[in-house]
Amino acid sequence: MERDEFLQIRGLCKSFHGTEVLKNITTSFVRNEVVSIIGPSGGGKSTFLRCLNLLETPTAGSVIFDGVDICAKKKDINLHRQKMGMVFQQFNLFNNVNVLHNLIDAPIRIKKTPRDQALEKAVGLLERVGMAERAESYPYELSGGQKQRVAIVRALMMDPEVMLFDEPTSALDPEMIGEVLDVMKNLAEEGMTMIVVTHEMRFAREVSSRTIFLDGGRIEEDKPSHELFDHPESPRLVSFLNKVL
Amino acid sequence: MQFFNDMALLFTRYNSFFTEGIRNTLIIAAFSVLIGTVLGTLMAMMRMSRILPLRLLATAYIEFIRGTPLMVQLMFIFYGLPMIGVTFPEISFIPDFSRFAAGIVAMSINSCAYVAEIIRSGIQAVDSGQMEAARSIGYSHWQAMAYVVLPQAVRNILPALGNEFVTMIKESSIVSVIGIADLMFRTRDVIAVTYRTMASLAIVALIYFCMTFLGGRLIAWMERRMSHGKG
Ligand SMILES: Nc1ncnc2c1ncn2[C@@H]1O[C@H](COP(=O)(O)OP(=O)(O)OP(=O)(O)O)[C@@H](O)[C@H]1O
Ligand SMILES: [Mg+2]
Repeated sequence: MERDEFLQIRGLCKSFHGTEVLKNITTSFVRNEVVSIIGPSGGGKSTFLRCLNLLETPTAGSVIFDGVDICAKKKDINLHRQKMGMVFQQFNLFNNVNVLHNLIDAPIRIKKTPRDQALEKAVGLLERVGMAERAESYPYELSGGQKQRVAIVRALMMDPEVMLFDEPTSALDPEMIGEVLDVMKNLAEEGMTMIVVTHEMRFAREVSSRTIFLDGGRIEEDKPSHELFDHPESPRLVSFLNKVL
Repeated sequence: MQFFNDMALLFTRYNSFFTEGIRNTLIIAAFSVLIGTVLGTLMAMMRMSRILPLRLLATAYIEFIRGTPLMVQLMFIFYGLPMIGVTFPEISFIPDFSRFAAGIVAMSINSCAYVAEIIRSGIQAVDSGQMEAARSIGYSHWQAMAYVVLPQAVRNILPALGNEFVTMIKESSIVSVIGIADLMFRTRDVIAVTYRTMASLAIVALIYFCMTFLGGRLIAWMERRMSHGKG
């Protein structure tokens, strides 16, 4: 079977005020795979992820999503973003509305989903992440772990083709990390395509099929996860793993 | 004791002067802030625009207005505009309309600059993650602004607008120099008639203080209600 590389990154560069943060990154992602991105702080992981849905505008290179170069001018980026869910370290739930409204506003407003359909979907997804009872709660009433589970559901409401996670558990108290990772594990098992920036090495190793080691704005290694962890090649990866494992 | 008796006497005898003054002061402050808010919203949008000339224009306007005295601005409008042929019309059923119009225009132009900054900082105080999250789901910039950012910014903006109104109640006393019969102007009338300078000033100070103090309490109450239970 042919590999469906639905998301291709070609020669991606990103500079901030003349400082190169991403240096000529080329890689691609296939459907249903779970890819972890690891690396030292400041290595460009967040920037890379944010270039995929153009929250950052790449300085050079292209991002080809479903055969379309979304960096090209005149592309309706809002349309493409609907198909790429994103989950942030700081959750970023809409603070002024309750959980349910957080979930159904975008589908109703942007995708023109009928309200009852959106509600039904929201309730179903909330149940799956164990948040059904909190549908009427406001974000400030939730714990970090609960917020993040809702944030994941908010992204899922748009039926994305791929989910981008930027350190989804880094802002959580240790006892809440598990509940979020469990939700992500379930998603992975259901076949969701996921790109996950993470410091959770166990997650990278056990859940993701492939791991990318990003350091100094370059992809230093990009391999099946068990191989990368069991046989790291580049000295930088070896020393990074020594530090974090 | 004599002094307080004087005050009480003056206040009861010239009651109509003070009430007319209060009414006019409140009208001028309210209209100025209202017009200032409409214009200030536009100005704030220009100030945050991606179009450089608009941004520069708005920045220059805001900086210039905030960097010059209201008195000078008022004089420019009242004496300057007629010199270049711009006059405010008289309206038969509103006495002294052209004078009032000049005062309100000058105060609105002034308020606009301050309101623009209030709105801008109110919007920028909303965590940028809110905008990013909305954009990442597929909201356009304006949708995210309208449905996510602004509703949260309003909670910062409304109390500050209230404060602007309270400030305007005080600042508007300056329009008395162009002959608008506001509270300050009417107080000077009372002084001219009675020669009771200190007692009259004490009364007017007390009246201004009551208005601003009550206004301030009202805003604080509003602020508490709006932030109630919203993290
Ligand atoms: N908006 C920005 N403006 C200027 N520099 C930035 C900006 N965003 C990121 N950078 C810089 O780019 C580099 C890479 O940052 P990035 O956030 O992508 O790293 P990271 O790998 O996600 O690190 P961390 O693990 O700490 O989250 C850093 O040196 C950072 O200072
Ligand atoms: Mg990061």
